[in-house]
Amino acid sequence: MEEWDYEPTPDFDRTPLDKLRVFPRHPDMLVYALRLALHALMRTWLRLYHRYRVFGREHLPRDQPFVLVANHGSHLDAIALLSALPLTAIQTAYPAAAKDYFFTTTTKVAFSAIVVNAMPFDRKENPRESIELCRDLLETPGHVLILFPEGTRSATGAMAAFKPGIGFLIAGTNIPVVPCHLDGAWRAWPKGAWFPRPRRLTLRVGVPMVFADVPADKEGAKRVAAELESAVRLLV
Amino acid sequence: MLSNPILRTYLLIAGGLLLFAGAAIVLLKFVLKKNAEHAWKSFRGWLIMIPLIVGAVLLGRTATIIFLGVVAITGFTEFARATGLYRDWLITGLVYLGLAAVTVVTLISPPDDPRLVGWYGMFMALPVYVVAGILLMPILRDRTKGQLQLLALGMVGFIYIGWMFGHLAFLMNGRNGVGWLLFLLFSVPLCDVAAFTFGKIFGRHKLRPNISPNKTWEGSLGALAVGMALPWIFRFSLPGFGTRELLLAGLIVGAGSQLGDLSISVIKRDIGIKDMGALIEGHGGVLDRIDSLIYVAPLFFHMTRFFIGIE
Repeated sequence: MEEWDYEPTPDFDRTPLDKLRVFPRHPDMLVYALRLALHALMRTWLRLYHRYRVFGREHLPRDQPFVLVANHGSHLDAIALLSALPLTAIQTAYPAAAKDYFFTTTTKVAFSAIVVNAMPFDRKENPRESIELCRDLLETPGHVLILFPEGTRSATGAMAAFKPGIGFLIAGTNIPVVPCHLDGAWRAWPKGAWFPRPRRLTLRVGVPMVFADVPADKEGAKRVAAELESAVRLLV
Repeated sequence: MLSNPILRTYLLIAGGLLLFAGAAIVLLKFVLKKNAEHAWKSFRGWLIMIPLIVGAVLLGRTATIIFLGVVAITGFTEFARATGLYRDWLITGLVYLGLAAVTVVTLISPPDDPRLVGWYGMFMALPVYVVAGILLMPILRDRTKGQLQLLALGMVGFIYIGWMFGHLAFLMNGRNGVGWLLFLLFSVPLCDVAAFTFGKIFGRHKLRPNISPNKTWEGSLGALAVGMALPWIFRFSLPGFGTRELLLAGLIVGAGSQLGDLSISVIKRDIGIKDMGALIEGHGGVLDRIDSLIYVAPLFFHMTRFFIGIE
């Protein structure tokens, strides 16, 4: 008789917390189930408490990887953008989140990895490596990357300039980028408030943009960032 | 729960054992200047595990059964990950459902007799339904390649980790549930300790060099002797047990805990891994900790049920 071929999952000998820290995370049924249940709850919450509405959902590309970019007003943003996607897409939709903030304590790691499905973005020490990681992610059909190119939450509610990182990622590629504008998030949950207020949230999804003919250099990256920024501003 | 004298006695024993072990480690490290790193890690593991299980037992029957159900799910997850069964989400998911069902039928009363606690008939019948369900999976998907391996892993996962271990939780439904459960939870690790200690001191002849190279016949016989003595020492928690039951309980604990340990080792050696997981520092995975209990719990359960009855 031929020997059986066991193939342990690559992360079987890691502690649960370590499993959540590595990226890309290995698919885990229990995490998927928990995430699905929590998202169903959070979508209900957004609908009822924030009277969340999404316009332009038909612009979201199908059957190909794409990037969602939006203004960043609060901690609600990632959840709100994920909620604009079909529930079947959330397991492969990754909001990029600051590694130095969201992947520190046990609670934050658990929340970022399980609930938000966040990709740890190293904005301080290794931004280039993180951009590489984003590029790898976008090679698989069905993957969605959610980016907030301002780099941080707005302190005043006003949108800041987009950083050129997004440009380095997509200049010269065929990956569509969907500009979105989320309205009301900053009023609902400004920096420093401990709990969201029942303000209305509205998401406007713009038409996908492709930057295949923009050179992948510093100037090109800046141009991409600027064009996306004005596209988002136009959605207001 | 604290009014239960058996539980109070075990709490004292647990406190005493922890103090004793802690003092031994301090002695080893600071007076004898020996390397106590491993012992210290293992001790820290116990400092987390004992309060968890004591807390669950103090909260009562429902909490204990649910706690053990979560332990079974964690143990099965480790098994599925280590064997690669985890890649098949359909069979893994079905086993999860089966594990949940084990906990549910342990908690509820049989529909035809609400006076009883725990639906024993369905508990015993569950493997039939789960195995039938697992067999259905390749048929639904019209697949053959590698299916026997997946079916077998699913069945072992459910019957061995879910259902056999589930007997430990079902013991809580008995008239002396707490006493029986705590007897097993205390005596099984004590047998492990005895095997280790006797092996260290007298160990000469290898017991099963292919499966577990560090185990010796001397350690094994020492553990059997200690296991045979334990029911007499813990007799206060086994009311109604006569000589015959005490002897059988000793045999089950003394031999069964070692066989359970070896069974998991067979699986680990076949896969080629050292530990089943990394959840408990100093102990490996949950499965490495409960391996003996999985083997002992159902044997003890059915011996007790046959000779003196559970209800």
